[in-house]
Amino acid sequence: MRNRKPFRHFRFLCVVFVVFLIAPLALPQTPPKDSDWPSYAADLAGTRYRPLDQINASNFNDLEIAWRIKTDNFGDRPEYKLEGTPLMANGVLYATAGSRRAVVAVDPATGELLWIHGEHEGKRGGAAPRQLSGRGLAYWTDGKEERILYVTPGYRLICLNAKNGQPIGTFGKDGVVDLKLDDDQDIFPDLTTGEIGIQSAPVVAGNTVIVGAAFREGMTPRSMRNNKGYVRGFDVRTGKRLWIFHTIPKKGEFGYDTWEKDSAEYTGNTGVWTQVTVDEKLGLAYLPVESPTSDFYGGHRPGNNLFGETLVCVDLKTGERKWHFQLVHHPLWDMDISSAPILADITVDGKPIKAVAQPSKQGFLYVFDRVTGKPVWPMPEKPVEVGSVPGETYSPTQPIPSKPPAYSRNGVSVDDLIDFTPSLHDRAKEVAAKYHLGPVFTPPTVSKLEGPLGTLTTGTASGGTNWPGGSYDPETHIAYIYACNACLEPIGLVAAPKDVSDLAYIAGTAGQEVTILRGPGENAGADSPKPSKKKAASQYIPMNVDGLPLMKPPYGTISAINLNSGEIIWQIAHGETPDVVRNSPALKGMTIPRTGQETYNIGTLVTKTLVIAGEGQVTTTSDHPRGAMLRAYDKKSGKEVGAVFMPAPQSGSPMTYMYNGKQYIVVAVSGGPYSGEYIAYTLPSESE
Amino acid sequence: MNLVRHRSVAILLCAVGGLCVARSQEPASAPRSVWDGVYTEEQAKRGEPIYQKECAACHGDQLSGGESAPPLTGGAFLANWNGLTVGDLFDRIRKTMPQSNPGRLSRQQDADVLAFIFSRNKFPAGKTELYKQSEMLKEIRFESEKPAEKK
Repeated sequence: MRNRKPFRHFRFLCVVFVVFLIAPLALPQTPPKDSDWPSYAADLAGTRYRPLDQINASNFNDLEIAWRIKTDNFGDRPEYKLEGTPLMANGVLYATAGSRRAVVAVDPATGELLWIHGEHEGKRGGAAPRQLSGRGLAYWTDGKEERILYVTPGYRLICLNAKNGQPIGTFGKDGVVDLKLDDDQDIFPDLTTGEIGIQSAPVVAGNTVIVGAAFREGMTPRSMRNNKGYVRGFDVRTGKRLWIFHTIPKKGEFGYDTWEKDSAEYTGNTGVWTQVTVDEKLGLAYLPVESPTSDFYGGHRPGNNLFGETLVCVDLKTGERKWHFQLVHHPLWDMDISSAPILADITVDGKPIKAVAQPSKQGFLYVFDRVTGKPVWPMPEKPVEVGSVPGETYSPTQPIPSKPPAYSRNGVSVDDLIDFTPSLHDRAKEVAAKYHLGPVFTPPTVSKLEGPLGTLTTGTASGGTNWPGGSYDPETHIAYIYACNACLEPIGLVAAPKDVSDLAYIAGTAGQEVTILRGPGENAGADSPKPSKKKAASQYIPMNVDGLPLMKPPYGTISAINLNSGEIIWQIAHGETPDVVRNSPALKGMTIPRTGQETYNIGTLVTKTLVIAGEGQVTTTSDHPRGAMLRAYDKKSGKEVGAVFMPAPQSGSPMTYMYNGKQYIVVAVSGGPYSGEYIAYTLPSESE
Repeated sequence: MNLVRHRSVAILLCAVGGLCVARSQEPASAPRSVWDGVYTEEQAKRGEPIYQKECAACHGDQLSGGESAPPLTGGAFLANWNGLTVGDLFDRIRKTMPQSNPGRLSRQQDADVLAFIFSRNKFPAGKTELYKQSEMLKEIRFESEKPAEKK
């Protein structure tokens, strides 16, 4: 309760804003729905698709900046990791921004600030596991009222009047639902510091708001015990809790027996930290669930661990489970289901299927009948390697989709190592020889100085498709999905010192001091505390050869996957060849085709004719100064048809809308020397 | 007040930057770069424990980054700062790091950490320590590629 005062103070400031700004907010008539972008992923189906075509192959290179919003002042420090995708609804653009995770409403044509709302959460915000600006917000209207909903770093669901940014007094308590309460668990140790939060956008479907949960990075948890990431539905009008889904079943509930030795009682995490997808017509919500406590060691949670790394379909209005499919049994690889499931109405062998397609870190696109949960193509259980970490239990099999084929690397073999020259390949083999290698689902090892230092993996923690997810054209039934094809994750386990963790093993490397690793935005947002003291020097093991990536290209790809046939119809390297490769003395005189870039967080946008995505790394080339390109591809062929310059890498996924007859593309950029900025591109007026 | 002060600093830095460009056009005084031995091995050794204590939890023991923080070695890092100045990188550290309490480290500590980062990126050590004044560091260019004539 002691935090109430600063909250009120900031709201007062908002009132001042409103007095001056409410006048320009005369709303235009509601435009056709497909020219807006009313939900994080464009729609509740997770498509990131808008059938707009004013910006097309013939004019993409003519794009110019319409407006930009620098986010430095939306918090007490600048942010260099702006991940948001704005919404555009009924003539106003809304976004989360800055280290305060403020909400801003701006004019979609000019970027003029209409209102701003922020919550000063003091210690609770500073202790939050997922800080900074988050990924976005949700919009709701009943045709009269319009509301904006978002979750603060301190895990409070805020409901605002979209017209002026004022809290809706009749929602929760003065516009706030404290998500640390009424969660079928006591958040420990207390409401201020208790570990639970979320950075993704809430989803509103009908009159139900769905909110998941996120935690700190799970590689080196301090304890096998943690808060649990249940999913809840709330009434958008009142904030009243409508339902809760226990992602870790309570005693007596289905799946409890998949947690042996009563491990469901103390194991935590297992949240839904990414976007939820909803089929409003069917009245079903699709929940992509993450890993249970301890990403890489499951010795304290024997069993398959439902609903860890499971796609769960629940009733939108009751939260009752309709079906589920566990993508990874007894998770050991941090294969959180990391992005929005994509709804696709497809025709397979002449039979219409209402499907849901789930991109993944492991590069599989899992496709199910979304009514029944039955795989569209067989996903047989196949034997996988069983490891030997003391105390660990292993699932002897994992489901492997027979179609579509994996769209990114999900294992490491010697054949995957850099081979521009025999010498580079040999040196890469020397590095790889320190690790255990194998295909997808090769388990972690205990890290030993004499080797292996761990299992060298890709398609795990940061591989394949992460939070930006895929995109999908519902007219052609083709999914377009970015994947990191070379994001290596060495997974070694070390015995955890008792003063660090009560787990038997946590992630680490032999010969190095065991430490707690921090997650995205942890201790990074407004009001963060000071770090604790720690640690001595460590051994240095570069994952490169002469600065060149250990893996061979392509480093990052966009794949077009036909969901009627289950086939990859094209795959391209996305992103300019990195400077370090292009300028490498070791490769002088060689012609290296575009390699793409090792980036794990690129989102795509699909329009009537184009697939659009920015680069995740900066390059300096003869064609452009230090910066990154926003690229457009012909969605039929994958051929690049245009590119425009951005001053920094894409850090949040692009969106598009039409406003007053003009199409805009907005993308969040940040990183390195460049603090967060939303940039809106449009065509010059003379091109219209 | 703070805003005004920051603006003044920004204007001052712009002026210094302008001078830097003007000087670089004089053939007699070639600008220095990170390839010219701008830190000492001793300084990098001093910076390592500071890095491990203050930076490694997010940027990693290996400087390889994580989900929360970018790598401080390798192609993406070098590309990020290529063409800017060491002063730009120093100021980024000075103004925003450690993220939990920006500016807590002294200028000397920041310079030592930067020296350690340079050593891990295989920029050569020299006989003089890295400056700790932003204005002076802005005279040193960050070039990701080793100049051919200095091989």
